[in-house]
Amino acid sequence: MTKLFALTLAAVSSAACAQTPATNPMPDGSRDMYVGLGVASGARYQGAADTERSALPVLQVQLSNGLFVSGMRAGIHFGRSPQVEFGPLLEWQPRRDAAGEGDELGGVGDMRFSLVAMPLAAFSDNRLAGMPVIHGRLQGGAFLNYYLTPDWRLTSSLLYGAGNARNGMKLELGVQRLAVALGAHHRLAFDAGVSFANRRYNSAFFGVGESDSLLSGLPVYDAGGGLKDARIGARWSWAWSPSWMLTSSVQATRLLGDARLSPLVERPTNLTVSTAIAYRF
Amino acid sequence: MPLASHLTACCTLSLVALSIGAAGPACAGDWVSYRDAYRAMVVFEKYGGPKNFLQSQLQVAPQDRGASVDGLQLTLAGKTNQVNLPLDPLGRTPFPLLKGAYDENVALLLSRKIGSFAVRPRVSIALQPDGVYEDGELRAACEQALGFARYGDGSLRSRQCGGVRFVFAKRAAEVGVRVHRADGSDASLPVVPASPFPGDADDGFPTVLYRFGGNERVQLVTAYPPLAIVPLFE
Repeated sequence: MTKLFALTLAAVSSAACAQTPATNPMPDGSRDMYVGLGVASGARYQGAADTERSALPVLQVQLSNGLFVSGMRAGIHFGRSPQVEFGPLLEWQPRRDAAGEGDELGGVGDMRFSLVAMPLAAFSDNRLAGMPVIHGRLQGGAFLNYYLTPDWRLTSSLLYGAGNARNGMKLELGVQRLAVALGAHHRLAFDAGVSFANRRYNSAFFGVGESDSLLSGLPVYDAGGGLKDARIGARWSWAWSPSWMLTSSVQATRLLGDARLSPLVERPTNLTVSTAIAYRF
Repeated sequence: MPLASHLTACCTLSLVALSIGAAGPACAGDWVSYRDAYRAMVVFEKYGGPKNFLQSQLQVAPQDRGASVDGLQLTLAGKTNQVNLPLDPLGRTPFPLLKGAYDENVALLLSRKIGSFAVRPRVSIALQPDGVYEDGELRAACEQALGFARYGDGSLRSRQCGGVRFVFAKRAAEVGVRVHRADGSDASLPVVPASPFPGDADDGFPTVLYRFGGNERVQLVTAYPPLAIVPLFE
């Protein structure tokens, strides 16, 4: 299934996964901004077996007062030391629905009432069919990064507010190798980490309630909290000029714990690749 | 075939990339982003610790041992004006922190290609006009440099100041450092070829290493000005 635009934005200068950009000292009143467009290919949802391609808008903004927007994240750098970064963080949790099967669902929905107990999923290979839509949500929290050396940093972020009940919480811990220079204009960055989620987060994204089970045909599943996934990724940036660059990334994510055992999960390991042209101004 | 489609998209983007890349800074040499250089250089400016014995410069460092920076020019190429930044034989230049150049996102242009190179900040000990250096001042300068280095790199906490390295030009008329002791004795320190800064590819510069010893008061005298005095962390 190819969609015109993914409901996501990508950042350019951090590692492959969503991370806060490094502190960017600049003159008072200045900014550093990237805008671009590219393509991404990844799992249709966490744990999906099928992939989808999508156009990928790129956005990263950093202001001299510490405010930043990086992909779907925004926050403020409060730290003044080169070794520690911290501050409040907001992240947009994209909506999850049956993804492109709306029309078919409408027709099948009418049939469901005539066939009484026939689940929606009986007419679709899509395991999200019949599952409730998880609306887009703004999550709030904080980030804390610590530099072991100027090139290595430990990253962490805690976000709360995911899911329809707005009570899902996710903790991300990671380590990054920043900006390995390959000549003057090529940079590589590497990233690895794990995520933990509370029971409410996992219930929202990986659980199947009794009513959901009736609609989807999936078995009831009570997803507990704990370790959610592990990831590893790399990003390559190629600067053609001070203004233009090509940024590409690859990231592998493996669902773990109760998330991996969810009946919604068709493939626990997902690969996401993307490439985009960005303009810096 | 998602992978095939993705590769197709990548190829298309790469073709666009090449066409846009061709419209990059028009020069015979190479270029550096002023913003990236600014980001690296402003850390010293913002550092609040003691730094009166230190100087910070931007270094263009070839990664090929055979590449030379002799005659190399670095130009800050703005839309309205251009500023030439003279490079010393170590590839260093004082870096102007200019809001206008930052906002304009200008390029720093190299006058010729030098192969693969890195651009990085280099902190060294300020030179004395009379060429005379007190041991105590050099120690204080080294401690200042270590304090700044630790400010940016926490892994250096276990390091200590071990001495300083005087770096001379390859074509200097006279190379050497003499040590004057309080008892009137005088000795010359050996000159050895080495890299000026850690990580520099060219290890053929004449250098003199002075290690900090006891508490004896000594003076170091250079008959000919060195290019740089580099603190040594051990």
